[in-house]
Amino acid sequence: MSGVSPSALAEHAFLQGLPAEHTTRIAEAATAVSAPAGYRFFEEGGTAGQFWLIRSGHVALDLHLPGRPPLIVETIGAGSLIGLSWVAPPQEWQYGAQAIQPTTAFELDGAAVLALCDSDPVLGYQLSRRLLTVAAERPHATRIRMADLYAAPRRRVGTS
Amino acid sequence: MEEAGRAGTALLMEAASLARLHAALQNAGYRVIGPVVRDSAIILDELQSADDLPFGWGVQLEPGGYRIRQRADSAAFGHSAGPQSWKQYLHPPREKMWSVRRTGDGLEVEAADEPAQRMAFIGVRPCDLRAIAIQDEVLGAERHPGSRYASRRAGVFIVAVNCTEPGETCFCTSMGAGPEAGPGYDLALTELVDDAGHRFLVEIGSPAGADLLADVPTTPADDATDGRARSAVAAAADLMGRSMPADGLRDLMAGSTDAARWDDVASRCLTCGNCTMACPTCFCTTVEDVTELHGDHAERWQLWDSCFDLDFSYLHGGPVRSSPRSRYRQWLTHKLGTWHDQFGSSGCVGCGRCIVWCPVGIDLTEEVAALQAEAAQAQAAQAQAAQAQAGQVQAGQAQAVQVQVPDVQTRDAAAGQAEAGSGQP
Amino acid sequence: MSAPALPARYRVTSSQAETHDTVTLGLQPVDQPIASHQPGQFTMLYAFGVGEVPISISGAPAGGSLIQTIRAVGAVTEALCSAAPGQMLGVRGPYGTDWGVASAAGRDLLVVAGGIGLAPLRPAVLAALAARERYRRVSILIGARSPEELVFAGELQAWRDGGAKVQVTVDRAAAGWTGHVGVVTQLIDAADIDAAATTALVCGPEVMMRLTARALQACGIAPQHIRVSMERNMRCGIAECGHCQIGPLLLCRDGPIIDYVRAAPLLAVREL
Repeated sequence: MSGVSPSALAEHAFLQGLPAEHTTRIAEAATAVSAPAGYRFFEEGGTAGQFWLIRSGHVALDLHLPGRPPLIVETIGAGSLIGLSWVAPPQEWQYGAQAIQPTTAFELDGAAVLALCDSDPVLGYQLSRRLLTVAAERPHATRIRMADLYAAPRRRVGTS
Repeated sequence: MEEAGRAGTALLMEAASLARLHAALQNAGYRVIGPVVRDSAIILDELQSADDLPFGWGVQLEPGGYRIRQRADSAAFGHSAGPQSWKQYLHPPREKMWSVRRTGDGLEVEAADEPAQRMAFIGVRPCDLRAIAIQDEVLGAERHPGSRYASRRAGVFIVAVNCTEPGETCFCTSMGAGPEAGPGYDLALTELVDDAGHRFLVEIGSPAGADLLADVPTTPADDATDGRARSAVAAAADLMGRSMPADGLRDLMAGSTDAARWDDVASRCLTCGNCTMACPTCFCTTVEDVTELHGDHAERWQLWDSCFDLDFSYLHGGPVRSSPRSRYRQWLTHKLGTWHDQFGSSGCVGCGRCIVWCPVGIDLTEEVAALQAEAAQAQAAQAQAAQAQAGQVQAGQAQAVQVQVPDVQTRDAAAGQAEAGSGQP
Repeated sequence: MSAPALPARYRVTSSQAETHDTVTLGLQPVDQPIASHQPGQFTMLYAFGVGEVPISISGAPAGGSLIQTIRAVGAVTEALCSAAPGQMLGVRGPYGTDWGVASAAGRDLLVVAGGIGLAPLRPAVLAALAARERYRRVSILIGARSPEELVFAGELQAWRDGGAKVQVTVDRAAAGWTGHVGVVTQLIDAADIDAAATTALVCGPEVMMRLTARALQACGIAPQHIRVSMERNMRCGIAECGHCQIGPLLLCRDGPIIDYVRAAPLLAVREL
């Protein structure tokens, strides 16, 4: 784990377009992490105190099933982030997260970032907009998966 | 055929010699097909003799209405398009394409027999002659060498008949398909029934036409009769019951995808498909695979189909064009619009059959006029809106800027004050 | 109907189950083989007494044989899927436009496949890998319903060995799946794309192609460099029956593969 330079942080897609002064402040709440494959970022039900901006690698969000391996509901890759539950109470992880491949990320301290947002509404607004975009994209992708586009079309007698 | 070339080459034939024309065709081995009166309509059928022609019969046409009527004279071709067109014969409603036999080793495929006898068509109106040319473009030898259509078509002898009395629903002039026959005939007749008698001006359109006339008594046409016939045909151009805009139909159709008019016509259209059956250029077909009981012999048949049929656009569990609105739009925009993109011409010849045979009397010339009006209105509204917007932007500029900025200004102003106060950069 | 539009006899030489409802058939001509074909073209496959369906050619090994991958979704496709080696089928074709793989020479080739859409793209992949040096990067993104419904699963490693980057994502994972879980557009978002130098070939359900084209354009790829494979009801395959029309196009003749400049306005109209 090591400190993060604002310029390195600014390269991540999530923070693109953020004014340098904001990135500098966020960098103070960030640490660079490098996780091997199999590393568990968090457990379902745990306290949600951080979020990660994935730089490389591949992380699975999963649900615990008794007597079975965890069910992967989505995988997140480079350029995106994992962890949304830190934003608001009850600040409890809805899923677990485990690295499927060796993964590098910026880990951000949730409480510190919330404090930054409270003290700097403009920064808070910018971060909120970005989080909102991520939060909107996830259900969109999920709805497309639920549309089950690759399923066999409805059958009708006597047709090809 | 140039006007100059025609004067002096036209011939005159007495109506009584139609019998000789018919006989000559039969002797040459043709199956002769032409209009006959049957079941209160003038339909197409095999002519046993020239007497089968509908002498003295005319028609009365309107949207959704067709009646035959007795004429005051004995004209044989004094009627306009009936319910059928020559596609009945060139592109049959049902046709076997091939058959397959299951053998010990596998399958044996056999093409269906080629149609044997050549056909001669007597009474092809200019609109129908153009329709044949249009179907040739879609189905004929150039795109489909060796096809059944191509071989059927190659042997056809065409006796066209120019129009002097357009029907109430005709608009061939608008579509450039009449009232005078375009190229493609072997012989073209113009019927004259007056004090001088019942005769035909005959124009030769091909060597085959010239050869056939050798067995038919004709005399060179005198200038007066020739002139009378030609002016009767020319005059017919101004007697059309309907009209369509001269150009721009392709673009009008392309721009009308979301027109409100489609909802209007959809509230009337039964999607019965009569128009597609009666239309001389509609060519859509479907295929049917039939097996006999033992399961060793199967046949593939081709049948007429209609884009109004719900199954026509079936894909992955349902029709793509489910609503009547979309199906009517498909038919009209194809006929008048995308046909140009696909086959290089309009698909409409102005015969008016779709208007006559629509059970609710939908008139495509009326629909086109309405679409044109709607498009013009939309364009005018757009132009007005653009002008208004340009005016508004200037007036509202200061106001708009004010609305966007206040909070930021206040915050920055406050921050500036705080910074100034703390002495920090 | 043209004389060449009589079905040619082909014998099934192999039948490989790809998934529970998808089969890849190997076919050998009994008489003359059909004319040579390009990646993306299709044939009309005939099952005796049942009927014909348009099926994209999914492979063309040397020697005139045909590889066709069929999903059982109705009477004809079921009959084709249950065809056993030794059985004879009818083949008409090849028909349609092709992927135009060669035109991507010197550029990055990005192949995006959804579900059975990988079958029409397979010949494009094989053609590119057979001349690998002609292309800069070759990237294949595959979306499948689940790991068990992935077609050509056994070939993906060979494609990687041949110089392609292959990524697979599934809509729902199964136990033991360690790959991506999500829609294929999420792979695009994370991909390293050189927009100005990429030619994209996209095939799958219409919704998937629309969303994929949108994501590709959001990355900066121009619509003239995005090709999709359109689909409509087909009965004759030779532009005579009128069924495969979409706007000004007859898909069996002017498609099914068209660029997104032409496809976008057509896909935007309901019930076209």
